[in-house]
Amino acid sequence: MEKSHFALLVACSAVFLLAATESTPVDPGVQTAQRGTGAALASVLANDNPGILSFFNDGQTRFQAVESVSGNAAGNNGLGPRFNSNSCSSCHAQPAPGGSGAAINPQAAFVSQGVAPDDATPSFITPTGPTREARFPFFLNSNGTANLNSPNGGVEDLFTVSGRSDAGSCKLSQPDFAEALAANDVIFRIPTPVFGAGLLENLDDSTLLNKQAANSDNDFGISGTFNRSGNDGTITRFGWKAQNKSLHMFAGEAYNVEMGVSNLLFPQDRPLPEEDQQGRGLPANCLNLSQGGYPEDTNNPSLSGPAILDDVSAFADFMRTLAPPPSGGVVLNGTAVSSTSIADGKSIFGAIGCATCHNETTGTTQPSSITGSLSKAAVHAYSDLEIHHMGTGLADNVSQGNAGGDQFRTAPLWGLGQRIFLLHDGRTTDLISAIQAHQSNGSEANAVIDNFDSLSNAQMQELLNFLRSL
Amino acid sequence: MNSAWLCLIAAGGASSLVLMSDPPRHSAASGPVAAASSGQSVSRVPGGVILVTGASPSASDSVTPVPEDARINGRVFDDPYFQMSFPLPEGWAEKYTSPPPSDSGRYVLAQIAAADSFSARSKGSLLITAQDIFFTSLPAMGARETIESAKNHLPEEYRVEPAPERVWLGDREFSTFAYESPQAQLHWRVLATEIRCHIVEFVVTGRDSGFIETAMRGLNKMKLPAEENPAAGPFPVCVKDFARGDNLLRRVDPVLTGHRFNPVPVRIIIDRKGAIRHIHFLSAFSDQARAISDALAQWRFKPYIADGQPVEVETGILFGPQR
Repeated sequence: MEKSHFALLVACSAVFLLAATESTPVDPGVQTAQRGTGAALASVLANDNPGILSFFNDGQTRFQAVESVSGNAAGNNGLGPRFNSNSCSSCHAQPAPGGSGAAINPQAAFVSQGVAPDDATPSFITPTGPTREARFPFFLNSNGTANLNSPNGGVEDLFTVSGRSDAGSCKLSQPDFAEALAANDVIFRIPTPVFGAGLLENLDDSTLLNKQAANSDNDFGISGTFNRSGNDGTITRFGWKAQNKSLHMFAGEAYNVEMGVSNLLFPQDRPLPEEDQQGRGLPANCLNLSQGGYPEDTNNPSLSGPAILDDVSAFADFMRTLAPPPSGGVVLNGTAVSSTSIADGKSIFGAIGCATCHNETTGTTQPSSITGSLSKAAVHAYSDLEIHHMGTGLADNVSQGNAGGDQFRTAPLWGLGQRIFLLHDGRTTDLISAIQAHQSNGSEANAVIDNFDSLSNAQMQELLNFLRSL
Repeated sequence: MNSAWLCLIAAGGASSLVLMSDPPRHSAASGPVAAASSGQSVSRVPGGVILVTGASPSASDSVTPVPEDARINGRVFDDPYFQMSFPLPEGWAEKYTSPPPSDSGRYVLAQIAAADSFSARSKGSLLITAQDIFFTSLPAMGARETIESAKNHLPEEYRVEPAPERVWLGDREFSTFAYESPQAQLHWRVLATEIRCHIVEFVVTGRDSGFIETAMRGLNKMKLPAEENPAAGPFPVCVKDFARGDNLLRRVDPVLTGHRFNPVPVRIIIDRKGAIRHIHFLSAFSDQARAISDALAQWRFKPYIADGQPVEVETGILFGPQR
């Protein structure tokens, strides 16, 4: 090759490389390669303690069981009379049972498939949109106006059992979602993934408080706090606002609120918030639909092994013994991203302040009586489990425990590479939009997002690559 | 802060809903911007406002400045509590208001960014914070110790850059240090000084050192209060842990019947006769603020003497869980 041609080639390559590195950053998107997400903890797979693997398997089976209202020979009765879905794994689905919402939202087919035959599918439930629950921040007046003096915030179940052959004469109306939408009085939540949840549960309060103190010395203006149990004052940690103390509580509440199944922790069928507020409750012909008495889910003293447990305990055991989601390689536009890019992205993630809240290491667990993998283990959840002010842009005007309308738990980022819908309401599938949504009036993350905005395109891309490796 | 806000503080019920017609600066995160009037029924819930708050800041009167009163009037940053102001350099603007004070006594007073007019990308930013010495979860330290500690505990992704250890801005000495992230190609300059019971920090972040120097020149136009003199002011004397032991002549504990498990940091100013003349809740639910205010109204202190004269004292009391 002639020298002049060689020089031209080098120059062109340089221009090409520059253009490539400075191209607009893009979210690599959901990583589809098998990472092994959804497996049990290593010590559970090794059956430490003896018998625990059977508890995991039993819990996993029940987590995927479809509930009926009554007459189910398998015993999965108690659905409704109001519900958002009929199985834990229908919402906690992606990329494996225990995850967040899937690409196809099963709620969109509930009416046509006879799960809720007499209902109308709310307009915000779509086949490829996020699997959701809805809440009305304020109670509505009879004329459709929102009463700002009357905060609500409770879950407004999307569906009823009306018209089902296993629901007797129970006829209920759905909440008036069209009216609430017209009043701009609806917010949404998507399922939180529960991989590795047993590790988060086994972090002692002192560990979290020490971490909080260490994090407080930052140059980004970030100062979180903890949500706390109204019963004993200890730190709560599960749910979008860290409102639930334990996995048992998380499971019991979800079974009752999302699926309408009364249980040992929540022993009554749950009316809508407005049905309770107006002193009506549920109509008599919608109570005890399973015909087995209350609670509809309880333990099974005539059985043995894991089957003796109530469903809520089985769900909690399953979630508690799920392994953390493994990290993995990233494919961007069909090409594998280099490990160097991911490592650089991790460094940038820390440097610009993301890791002040999204701490890689949340802490080290206390000794566990359950299984070895939960004992004295470093928890790489990318969260401080604190609640932070996230500003007007993310505020949902729902208060849970000590968390106010704009305070949210730092979402653990482990498993982010395989998440489809992002933020508490699933408003976006794009990482860049999710990052930018952290900045608004009153947000603790504003200085960090300013730093993000200072990065070059290539640096942003590395950061996005890193996030999808989690 | 106006009368509607104060009425609600005084009469505030247990509900976490706070309604104010003219909320303080931190309303974006601590209270609503929606109009307060009787009825409160609206055909559409206003978007982009926080109507339901958690623990929030409030104060017993509207006359006495509080740290979070910082605001940008025109193009001038001004905080009457710290008696601190400076004109924003050309091209700088506050994009977003700050979060409310934390329950560990930290304030974000302002976040000011400079946009690159060519790329619309951020060229850098200035973060102004204050850490109350009464409630900090860090070891009690002055400005110099704060900077030394930050330098000594710099995470591994950063590298210390050469910078003077002390500079003068306005009439105040600031302890400083500088660091960079090679990976993010960002530079930081941190300046800290002590003003009225707080470590006030200025954090300048930018992509190049030239930007940092420009920002430093802008900060040099800052007006700051004279060094405090216990007898001559301009501020009350700061005394950590003053509300205990022999200083406290009468104490009535608040009866908290609602929220009980969140830290409630309360900053008070005690007058020359030993009565509390000002209460500032950094973070409290309205039921807590009401109960604590009722109790504090009955507290009496031994007057604090400086240079033979009784002087006003500013101190902090932490209710709820103790750290």
